[in-house]
Amino acid sequence: MTRQSLLIVGLLVAAFPSFAQQQKVGAPPEASNMRLVGWTDLQARSAYQPTIHRQGDRWIAYVGHHGGTDDIAEPVNPMTGKPEPNGTSIVDVTDPANPKYLRHLPGQPGKYEAGGAQMVRICDGSALPKGDRAAVYMLRTFGGEAHEIWNVANPAEPVLVIRIGGLKDTHKSWWECDTGIAFLVGGAPDWRTKRMTQIYDLSDPKNPVKIRDFGLVGQEPGATGTVPTDLHGPISTGPQGNRVYFGYGTNKGGMLQIVDREKLLKGPKEPTPANLAAPEVARLVMTPWTGAHTTFPMPKMPVAEFARDKDGAERDIVMIVNESILNECAEARQMVWFADLSIEKAPMMVSNWTVPEASGNFCQRGGRFGAHSSNESMDPVYYKKMAFIAFFNAGVRALDIRNPFQPKEVGYFIPAITEKTDKRCVKVDGQDRCKTAIQTNNVETDARGYIYIVDRANTGMHILELGGEARTVAGLK
Amino acid sequence: MKRRTVVQTSLAAGLVAGMVALNLSEDDPPSLSKDAPWRPTNWPFPRDAWPQGRAWRRGTLEVYLRPKLGFCGNCETGVTTDEEVDRVTDVDLLDQRFAPVKEGLAVRIGALSGRARLYRYELANGTTRHVEGIAVSQKCDLVIAVIAGNLVDESERTSAYRHLESSTVQDWISQALGGR
Repeated sequence: MTRQSLLIVGLLVAAFPSFAQQQKVGAPPEASNMRLVGWTDLQARSAYQPTIHRQGDRWIAYVGHHGGTDDIAEPVNPMTGKPEPNGTSIVDVTDPANPKYLRHLPGQPGKYEAGGAQMVRICDGSALPKGDRAAVYMLRTFGGEAHEIWNVANPAEPVLVIRIGGLKDTHKSWWECDTGIAFLVGGAPDWRTKRMTQIYDLSDPKNPVKIRDFGLVGQEPGATGTVPTDLHGPISTGPQGNRVYFGYGTNKGGMLQIVDREKLLKGPKEPTPANLAAPEVARLVMTPWTGAHTTFPMPKMPVAEFARDKDGAERDIVMIVNESILNECAEARQMVWFADLSIEKAPMMVSNWTVPEASGNFCQRGGRFGAHSSNESMDPVYYKKMAFIAFFNAGVRALDIRNPFQPKEVGYFIPAITEKTDKRCVKVDGQDRCKTAIQTNNVETDARGYIYIVDRANTGMHILELGGEARTVAGLK
Repeated sequence: MKRRTVVQTSLAAGLVAGMVALNLSEDDPPSLSKDAPWRPTNWPFPRDAWPQGRAWRRGTLEVYLRPKLGFCGNCETGVTTDEEVDRVTDVDLLDQRFAPVKEGLAVRIGALSGRARLYRYELANGTTRHVEGIAVSQKCDLVIAVIAGNLVDESERTSAYRHLESSTVQDWISQALGGR
């Protein structure tokens, strides 16, 4: 390259930082202390929630999908040769370097949030109190209208067990495998909110038993006045922890509600204001600029910095992740927050973390920039040591959270885009201006330490492992 | 009965019937807007999750308007239910304890369609008033309008809708939605 050419390129980069940062097909991934092990294209379907489950000697990834796009409403399944509405991808990841796509299970027809089967949870029949011991149960949403349970003991040939329908906007539920209690997220027809909780006993998945409806006071049927923020999802600590952490809001009006699980399950069930308020222990209201997409509990977390303090050496921490929903930074930054709930009546936010925008000119790369979700596995390999945060066009970020008062990034991975990566557009002077960028949507880990990230913009699932300092933090050899 | 008395009685009965039909109370302010121009005013509400909008006044009639990008509950169908209007409306900026008066109806503001609903709310002095909450959408983006004033007078409501459809307001909406 001549000196003049170098000068021109330099001037271009200086004048248009996004010129330097725009992702290109064929360019390598951007990474630090994280390495790509394997990849599957997930049939170029927009992916939401991955769950990795050990079934005997096999490791199976179940991946929920959003609905189709304007351009391709129902992608062709190469295994059947037929167009199928996005649903659930089932992938054998026993050898993470060579993932084998086993089955696409179609979901509800519809585009984007209006179709697909976004959420998926797995419980072994042998773990459920009244389950078929030979069965493996997959709980998933069916678009926005239903929850379904499938037997995936043979993951390539799922069998429908039951469907709970007649709902709206079903979303990210939680299922306790040891008790069978399920906190199913969706909207009951007569409630004033898109999403609340319907609590079921699914200990015998063939015979679901409704326990109660639950939500914030003001969301119940017949209420008036301001409608409190929609639920996004709960995480329960089960009978031992006796707490359920409900996250309300995605990118606005965030709130963490701390609920006494036993009072919730055994208290009066009529959705009156008094009955809805009764099991609440406390709530942490966040700035209205942020939501509470994921509320990940880490009780009794030893904090080395406080080890010699006479009180407070262990803290009850909940990691709260907001969801960015608008392209190209057209909203307040959504990020990761750490709340100290050690004194439950006075929960307090103690730290936060975000990807520095300037580190990649992420507001100009296209698509969403900001947090969305974290891994939800509580396997010891990473629990209370590291957290992985899906950050849309900034990929996945690996945080050292051993001191949750000062979380620190120790690695990241931003996958390369492919020919299948879908564009993301914003309106400029009435016209669509589109860019193509990775949109790392969700992340999960398995007990072996592999990290699975899935892309909202149809780039598939990347299987990663840690290296360098990040591996040391996790205690991996 | 004299003819003038009959006419006056008929007008009064008509007015009462109209108020009953709309389920409106006598607390609504009198119409003083007939010939007054729409004047922009400062956004009177405290900062919340959404950016400030635009506000106008004409006589006793007030209109508040702002976009809520990405807030539509169903990007495919738009706003089609009263529950969705309750959820997204800005009527709670006037009074968080607002209550619906009756079922809503489908509306259109310029090129955007959605739904509107009449509510009752309470002022600080205990007086009750009526307000219309409007939610229209373009894909996932909402435009929320609130009309407060003498909603007994249908011409006042019509006037507010005309203002929302004026080129000034439509240009602002268009800009707020990225030029559509």
